[in-house]
Amino acid sequence: MIAPQTLVFGILALLGLLSMIATYLAITERDLVKAVVFSAIQSTAYAFMYYLLMAPDIVLVYVPVAVGLYPAVVLFLIKKTERYEGE
Amino acid sequence: MAAWERVVIAVSMVVFVALLALAFTVGALGYRAPPPTLRDLAEVYLRTTFNSDNPLFSAMAPEAVTAIVWDYRGLDTLFETAVFFLAIIASVALMRGVSLPRKEVGPAAGMSPIVKTVTKITIGMILAVAASIAFHGHLTPGGGFQGGATAAVAPLIALVVFSVYFLEHAGVTKNRMLGLRSAGLLGVGLTAFLVLAASIVSGVQAYVLQNQPKPTAPIGMPSIVDGAIFGGTLLLFNIFEALAVAAGFTLVFLLLAIPEEEALKVTTGGEHAH
Amino acid sequence: MPISPDSYLFNLLIMTLFANLAISLYGVLARPSLVKKVIALTIFSDTANTFAIVVGYRLWPKPSEPPIPPVITRIPPTREYIEEFAARAVDPLPQALVLTAIVIGLAVTLFLVFLTLQIYRLYRTTDVRKIAKLRG
Repeated sequence: MIAPQTLVFGILALLGLLSMIATYLAITERDLVKAVVFSAIQSTAYAFMYYLLMAPDIVLVYVPVAVGLYPAVVLFLIKKTERYEGE
Repeated sequence: MAAWERVVIAVSMVVFVALLALAFTVGALGYRAPPPTLRDLAEVYLRTTFNSDNPLFSAMAPEAVTAIVWDYRGLDTLFETAVFFLAIIASVALMRGVSLPRKEVGPAAGMSPIVKTVTKITIGMILAVAASIAFHGHLTPGGGFQGGATAAVAPLIALVVFSVYFLEHAGVTKNRMLGLRSAGLLGVGLTAFLVLAASIVSGVQAYVLQNQPKPTAPIGMPSIVDGAIFGGTLLLFNIFEALAVAAGFTLVFLLLAIPEEEALKVTTGGEHAH
Repeated sequence: MPISPDSYLFNLLIMTLFANLAISLYGVLARPSLVKKVIALTIFSDTANTFAIVVGYRLWPKPSEPPIPPVITRIPPTREYIEEFAARAVDPLPQALVLTAIVIGLAVTLFLVFLTLQIYRLYRTTDVRKIAKLRG
């Protein structure tokens, strides 16, 4: 079987690649609601990375702030201003 | 941009990063990441966070990160709380003159009864978990800011499912949340001066933000009360900080939920225009 | 020459974080909508915090024994337990500093959101190219 250290480092690298793809999709998307959803996917990948790097305090801060409170505030802002990015 | 163009760009980025990491690993001449030993400063923090052999230098809390945030480097956290408070005051000042109109809403406002019933159950559970995270901050991972941020999710859901007029009717108003936040900050300030006040009364020397007895200041908070680890000023700091953070976030959501017609009346016309 | 797969995978993680920094910096500077700039700025600050936590990690002491988070779990701790704890735990100082940094970043983002709302109410647009042509 695979050694445990290689397995953990492999999962960390996979999460890093997932967060890179989610960041690219969030920046080049013109519908702002979908951009916020991609940013929330990237924050979930980061929260899992913090758990594997043995930082439980940071997971408990990051999950409510970056996946719950922050997309809610930006969705309020999008509802009150424009939804699509301009030409 | 068509969908297949995006897939090509994403795949090429992944291949580029993988090859760059390979080049860095092969050409790095024996450099190993991550390092196998810690720095000396980290060893000092880990050895003195709960050490009965050395009670004059120890923080007497089994959780190293909370002890660093509130005991070893408590002044940083005080200034961080002040920065957060300044941001909230600036947001309140930008929305001055704007207030929610008085409107009586019946039980038909908000979402369907299924959503309302499920929300009533989950709001209680969220507040219980947040209180547990805040109160156990000196024993397990957690603390003041974590508990406060989790507790702020409950008013957010209540705002969306029931309406903002219902919350205003139930007593969760902007001024009351400002009062709660100021009460939490007052508690944090009083706890910082607690040991100093006790030392002035009894005539020995002490410092501001002191938690345990130190070599030149022989007075401090008790570390074990009735067989349970008390944590000294860490417990009080966690409770007041959780209250202040939850009230601050609720205030921001109440300001954001005011409908746009009220705000436009203030910025572009009417008798209270800027 | 032989390379160890653990080293390669860790370097891959660090390279993806660098790529995240570059993409979000491009998003802050080149996209015309104010809301997109705010989203990219939060991705940028979160990636910088992740770098700080990666610095605090350590290599596994034995191949079957992972490092532990910096929390003492046996109370009261004996002298041997404290020695073993200091040989296995990760660094607690970067985690405390990142906690402060997350709160300050959140406060600045909240203020930026309110400023964007006020700009939209006064000028009816959130496109920086149109705002730059307005001349007061």
